[in-house]
Amino acid sequence: MKRDSRLTIILIIIVGFLTVCPVIMLVFGSFSEGLSAFGKFTLEKYIAAYTDPELPKIISNTVIFVLGAALVATILALFLAYLNNRTDIPGKFLFKVISITPMMIPHILFSVSWVLLLNPSNGILNLILKQFFGLENSPFNIYSLWGMILVEGLLDMPIAYLIIAPAMASFDVNLEESSRVCGAGIGQTLAKITLPVLRPAILAAFILCIVRCMASFAVPSVIGMPGRIYVLATHIYQTISVGFAVDYGKAAAIGMSVLVISITLIFLYRYLTSESEKYVTISSRGYHPTIIKLKKAKIPLFFILGLLLFILIALPVLVLIYTSLVPYSMVPSAKAFSMMSLRHWNAVIKDPISILSLKNSLFLGIFGATVGVILSLFVAYTIVRIRTKMSGILESLSFLSFSFPGIVIGIGFMWFFVRTPIYATIWTLLIGYIATYLPYGIRPLSSAFVQIHKHLEESSKVCGAGPLTTMRRIIIPLLVPGIVSGWILMATMFLRELSLSVVLSRPGSEVLAVQILRFSGDGLWGRLSALGIIMIVISTTLVALVSFIGAKLQPAIK
Amino acid sequence: MRKVKLIIGTIFILLVVLGMTAAASKVSFYANITAIEPIMESFEAKTGIKGEYTRISTDKFLATVLTEFEAGKLLADVIQAPLPVLEILKERGVLSTYTSPVAEAYPEWTRKEGIQLFGIEYVALIYNKELVKQEDVPKRYEDLTDPKWKDKIVMANPALHPTTISWLVGLKENIFESEEEWLNFVKGLAANKPMFVASFGPTPAPVESGEKLIAISMPKYIITKAPAPLDWARIEQPLMGTPRAIAVTSSAPNPDGAKAFMDYWLSEEAMSILAKEVGEYVLAPGIFPPIDSIDKAEVLAIRELSDEEIQQWGTEFKKIFAVY
Repeated sequence: MKRDSRLTIILIIIVGFLTVCPVIMLVFGSFSEGLSAFGKFTLEKYIAAYTDPELPKIISNTVIFVLGAALVATILALFLAYLNNRTDIPGKFLFKVISITPMMIPHILFSVSWVLLLNPSNGILNLILKQFFGLENSPFNIYSLWGMILVEGLLDMPIAYLIIAPAMASFDVNLEESSRVCGAGIGQTLAKITLPVLRPAILAAFILCIVRCMASFAVPSVIGMPGRIYVLATHIYQTISVGFAVDYGKAAAIGMSVLVISITLIFLYRYLTSESEKYVTISSRGYHPTIIKLKKAKIPLFFILGLLLFILIALPVLVLIYTSLVPYSMVPSAKAFSMMSLRHWNAVIKDPISILSLKNSLFLGIFGATVGVILSLFVAYTIVRIRTKMSGILESLSFLSFSFPGIVIGIGFMWFFVRTPIYATIWTLLIGYIATYLPYGIRPLSSAFVQIHKHLEESSKVCGAGPLTTMRRIIIPLLVPGIVSGWILMATMFLRELSLSVVLSRPGSEVLAVQILRFSGDGLWGRLSALGIIMIVISTTLVALVSFIGAKLQPAIK
Repeated sequence: MRKVKLIIGTIFILLVVLGMTAAASKVSFYANITAIEPIMESFEAKTGIKGEYTRISTDKFLATVLTEFEAGKLLADVIQAPLPVLEILKERGVLSTYTSPVAEAYPEWTRKEGIQLFGIEYVALIYNKELVKQEDVPKRYEDLTDPKWKDKIVMANPALHPTTISWLVGLKENIFESEEEWLNFVKGLAANKPMFVASFGPTPAPVESGEKLIAISMPKYIITKAPAPLDWARIEQPLMGTPRAIAVTSSAPNPDGAKAFMDYWLSEEAMSILAKEVGEYVLAPGIFPPIDSIDKAEVLAIRELSDEEIQQWGTEFKKIFAVY
């Protein structure tokens, strides 16, 4: 027991140090006069932020956007995770890769792709539909709340997928079989057994998506702003960006409400999943994850899934490939195809800063994700297994930096790191990334932890194994799907991270996001797309490699 | 023990010497201007000093520089930003008073006690020359209020983009004869429901692709986005923009290198690269970007607006353009 409390305290100190410092700087900034973190005390920024007459409308837009996108992400992820993990649907590997592809694409680029597909003037899909059905007006307008919900939902879907899929993979089919034996159909079993048992994973995914959507900036900026639809993130930008002296303290004052909502959601989640024993599916009594045969539904479902993923994910990626080959933004035509070349690719490959960025981002992706997952493993263990008030604090701490809107948290880190000797080095990025995106490691791991019965650890302890041996020999092998998910989420995030990189990167520590910003700032969508595709290829290779290693490790435990 | 102290002392001295050598052989340049890598390369080739370019977007410029400066860790030797940003930095003591001898060749109004103006972020009406007929191309700013442009215009958000706000105010002060005429223009433009994007960067893409036909944007994109079918409307009235400025910092880690960089930046050679390769409008006499007829255009520097003024006008334009 003493050892458990010691572990919790050590983790609170580590995670607290990582996440509290930038947030404290932002709190100081929000109460300080002037532009820096340490000025004369004032409440002006809070008064100005919360008496804005536009706020009620902004909040209503934000609620619809956030809940809508989180629902789209979670439902799609649930559907895909079920078919990919629990059924004999063909082409699983391909579907799995496509399901997590959106998180490998810089969000700004994915949003621009959807604008090219569904803008009301000459969106490619709109033009096709107009021609096919002889319509006068474009049937879709991406610059709308539903457009924002769709694109944000798709971008966050991999997060939900990577949390739900490991839980789905380690689901004990005996529970479903018992239900079927008692006369329930597939639908009834799904509604009464499968989904309730997966509640912690589904809720974790949903809550993480909500928090992410609240902090999201790319979709509200690229799709919302042209449609004059403002949510909290763009409202913050709009509030502080008028003029040259941008006041991030004021942005932090608005961001505090997002932080409070996120922390509340975490406590709500803990309350809703408090009886964790209910969700245990891997116990010492046997563990047989098996596959449900789809029989006649196999081929139709294969085509439905294929079509859905093609339209929602593959098509925007194809648009990226197309954009990287044409000399400027063009609607597909004979002229466009005749002008295709590799000029943008050459420009990117020959650019020394792009190459340096690639190396730095790879280092941060691989090394950062590995360190992040190791830390997450201990934190998830403490959150799920120890479950004291202290572990609740630890869980909330892990969400602190993550909950802040991206455009603000980077400044918090800068205010903090500038007082340390590592300022302007790649280590600030490494620490900042891990601190901010810790929930990406913790969530899939804690969802997977919930399902492993404590008896397994107790048996190991009875046999004389210490906590580290139990972790290494019993827990970690059973957690492989969670570890793989956490690593993928962190590595792909670190590869395309924008919010912190923009503020913390300096010559020598440039990362891909910095290049992305340069190209997008100059409106060079061709180069941006070429770099985006390189990022997708690297991320896909990493994902495939880690999934392969994970798959190799898993049979050994069955 | 003495040996250990000696070793630590030697390592310390070596590190200090190495650090000083590294600082002396490079110049750190913070800028919001884009695509200036050719100038950095040419500076290194000419002087042997490595130029390190850190691009910082305008919205993060003051936050970054002031945070570093107040913590005693400003890494920049030379800073480039819009004039109002450098004015704020000057007030806070971030800038030195160095005036480059090369600046003698520039008009007198460009020299501001340590801050040197070298270019204008010029704004024009950029259109798709394949989709807009020559007779339809606007000849005056007022032509943008013609209902034929409804849903066909793209511009940076007039409620928050400082350069666009300054440009609209600049029209009032320099182009229109009365406030009423100007207000009619702004209202007419708003009635045509332009599409708003965050800054100038995303304005050309919708025009290139034909999603929109005309943009309130920068002519430099005609160069940087070639062979896109972009051209600028040769209107009868002058073009306008906010001045681009440069200065040496008061705490430059390499003050001599900083002066050498400033001198080079203002030279004819560097300004020609900026005009020819990046399409920038520079204030070095006789140098123009290779854009047809741009040398004949009258380009005015907009009066420097304070942040309070920009915020006030931003609120006003938010209402007129119904941004929310």
